Amino acid sequence: MKNIVLGQYLPGQGFFYRMDPRTKIIGVIALMVAIFLLETIPQLLIALAIGVVCMLLGRLSIKRIAKGMRPLFILLIFTFFFQILFNKEGSILLQETLTISLASIGAIIALTILWRLLAKLRRFRFLLLLGYLAGVYFSLAYLAYGYTFASFVFTVYERGVEMSVFVVIRLLVIITLSTILTLTTKPTDLTQGLESLMRPLKVIGIRSDEFALIISISLRYIPTILDEANKIMAAQASRGADFLQGRLKDKIRQIISLLVPMFIIAFKRSEDLADAMETRNFIPGMKRTRISELAFGKTDILATLFIVSSLAASIVLRVL
Amino acid sequence: MGIHFREVSFHYPQNQLTFYQAIADITLQIAKQDEFICLIGRTGSGKSTLAQHMNALLLPTEGSVEIFGSLITNKRDKKINYNLLRKHVGLVFQFPEYQLFEETVEKDIMFGPLNFHVPPEQAKQIASETIKLVGLDETYLKRNPFNLSGGEKKRVSIAGILAFDPDILVLDEPTSGLDPQGKIQMMELFKAIQAKTGKSIIIITHDMDLVYEHASRVIVLHDGSLIYDESPEVLFRRGDLEQFHLQYPNTIKVLSALRDRFGLDLDIYQKNLPDALLAIKKAVAR
Amino acid sequence: MSHIDIRDMSFTYTGKRMILKDINLQIEQGEWVAILGHNGSGKSTLAKTLVGLLEPAQGTVAIAGTIITPETTPAIRKQIGIVFQNPDNQFVGVTVRDDIAFGMENLCVSREEMLERIAFFAKKVGMEKYLDKEPASLSGGQKQRVAIAGILAMQTGIMIFDEATSMLDPYAREDLMKYIRQLHQEGLTIIMITHEIEEALLADRLVIMKEGKIFADGRKEELLKQPEVFAQSALVMPLALQMAMQLDDEATFGEVKAFLWESTFAK
Repeated sequence: MKNIVLGQYLPGQGFFYRMDPRTKIIGVIALMVAIFLLETIPQLLIALAIGVVCMLLGRLSIKRIAKGMRPLFILLIFTFFFQILFNKEGSILLQETLTISLASIGAIIALTILWRLLAKLRRFRFLLLLGYLAGVYFSLAYLAYGYTFASFVFTVYERGVEMSVFVVIRLLVIITLSTILTLTTKPTDLTQGLESLMRPLKVIGIRSDEFALIISISLRYIPTILDEANKIMAAQASRGADFLQGRLKDKIRQIISLLVPMFIIAFKRSEDLADAMETRNFIPGMKRTRISELAFGKTDILATLFIVSSLAASIVLRVL
Repeated sequence: MGIHFREVSFHYPQNQLTFYQAIADITLQIAKQDEFICLIGRTGSGKSTLAQHMNALLLPTEGSVEIFGSLITNKRDKKINYNLLRKHVGLVFQFPEYQLFEETVEKDIMFGPLNFHVPPEQAKQIASETIKLVGLDETYLKRNPFNLSGGEKKRVSIAGILAFDPDILVLDEPTSGLDPQGKIQMMELFKAIQAKTGKSIIIITHDMDLVYEHASRVIVLHDGSLIYDESPEVLFRRGDLEQFHLQYPNTIKVLSALRDRFGLDLDIYQKNLPDALLAIKKAVAR
Repeated sequence: MSHIDIRDMSFTYTGKRMILKDINLQIEQGEWVAILGHNGSGKSTLAKTLVGLLEPAQGTVAIAGTIITPETTPAIRKQIGIVFQNPDNQFVGVTVRDDIAFGMENLCVSREEMLERIAFFAKKVGMEKYLDKEPASLSGGQKQRVAIAGILAMQTGIMIFDEATSMLDPYAREDLMKYIRQLHQEGLTIIMITHEIEEALLADRLVIMKEGKIFADGRKEELLKQPEVFAQSALVMPLALQMAMQLDDEATFGEVKAFLWESTFAK
């Protein structure tokens, strides 16, 4: 129970898990480039289909990936509407005069109340949101009764719809790619993969192994520091610090009462840790061996072939 | 009045990150005055979780806790000021480092009273009174709390709680990390505070000598359940404490070894050295 | 030549107040020494000079014949390991396996060799089933055992415990002491910094510190006959011995006293 899932890593089986993190990192970058090279919606749909097939082959639960992407839905919706509202190319598909009137305001208020009341049905949250937005639109479009405050013309263009669908699918594919990476790769493996890939940067003075050690120590201490923050907050709350309410001046003091102990303990901790590392013969900059090892296997060869051919295909499509 | 736990359970839904041990079905009452309770149990038995229910830092998942007349359940009640409840039950955490943050001891002690809307002038007055109550003199008020020794920091952190005059004082391992002399002084301090103010005191500890000598009541937790709630005299006469990873006080250990070795008619239940010596002398004389 | 040899050593942080004064201490291979003292007596500072974390202002510290200097510290640390007080602040690895490996990685031990030693020493401290566990899911006692395994894997001959049990509950404490006793039996030199007399009783020799100086040093059986030494250094004698000393009538209590002494050292 005390395990905290760092990032989104979800233990599992399947070939995504067997792949070398380096292949995955390079693969995600290469495939993202490939996706950006595609120009039409059918091409993107084919890419999405291939992606879904890969996920199924890799025994990843699509539901789990969709769940991981949930925080980004807002971004998708925003992108969608942004394109529809501001892209004014091609022929006109829909033109409507929207009016803010007493009737439409009343309807919107009623809809908002209804929407908030139904918000308990968490499973249908997304559908409810869509329904609410549609309701607001229809109220503005058709309920122009009573005193009118303002009105404006809302136009949807053909190219706008096309672009919004295109951009949303492209985003969806890209998000899926990065979700697969974080879902199937332990943060430590990810760090080690990055370290290994950054090794050539030694020429310009960036030491990737130290960077990796810093990241792995940070990962190790995140749960400890969270736990501590929790306890400090409880200790100060015991002295009447109310982190939720109060005037701004009190609030600032209360936040200081949380931050000062956190920093002081962190300093002490880093001193202790430095001592422990030093006495275990850690000398910054010295050569070390590594317990964990990255292995480039059969799966990686297949994956590389797939990635290279995908990239090649999209370049060909772009040039033709 | 005081604190009343009624069938209190606390747990998190599965797979959610949690820093607290679960507790289950706990019913107990703590009086407002003159109790000296020790809360014991091995690490992870739920002692801290239980303590944090006493001032509503945690809300029970099931059951209810009545704290000085306010009924605390898993739903936040808008009519209850949770913050003001904490004025009734002062909770001192194990590490003073969790709470010290001001640049002077005085300001740090004043933090609690100011949060509970005591006027600054009066809070200052309180600080100079409480620093004496914890056995330090007024010269400490202007010192930086981070430059104090471990024992002094502990005292200042206790003063920071005493300053808002809670009815009940709960201390999480107040003697851990102190050397033997420091431990004795700390316990004397609590005895003195109780004698002076009559406040009920609850101490979480692993030190059975301390429990046997000072507690008037012992609450034993094991795997989140309350297994014993009785006087130390009754508790340490039980033969099964080791199965809960609990030890016996040193006096009992030494005296029972003596009794078994020489077949003495010896009353092994003695709380301190002088009593133990008397018992030995009596037994040998027989 | 002694295994650990401290000569006329003093230490100061500021240049003004001496934290350690004229320390002379020789410890032989395979000894088990407890360094006792009240908080602030300088015992932990002494431990830090032994592993080269602090540099003496005067005098020398030598391990196996080599005087500790900034140049020799890397070599010295192959001989001497230290387990600190706070289990959380010395756990470097993301998992138990990584943490045991950390010291060996620094010594450039080959991967195969590391895996072998990890398996062996994890088993020795009873942590073989936890190799993939993260520190957040371990108890304090388990973390300390992992720290011990990490040092054992570096194959140092001396191990220092700097109040390593003080943040554990009595049960975990006893458990850890069991492992330490086993290490001693296998020939390791053990130095234990503590203010718990019960723990110190497991050692052969006691060194009592007071105000930065060595106040008393001797076999435990000898030192424990001098209650004034304990009283003057703010330490508490084991309860059984306090009893034995206060039962002064030798004729009546002779047997009882003998038993109390015996049982104190029987551990």
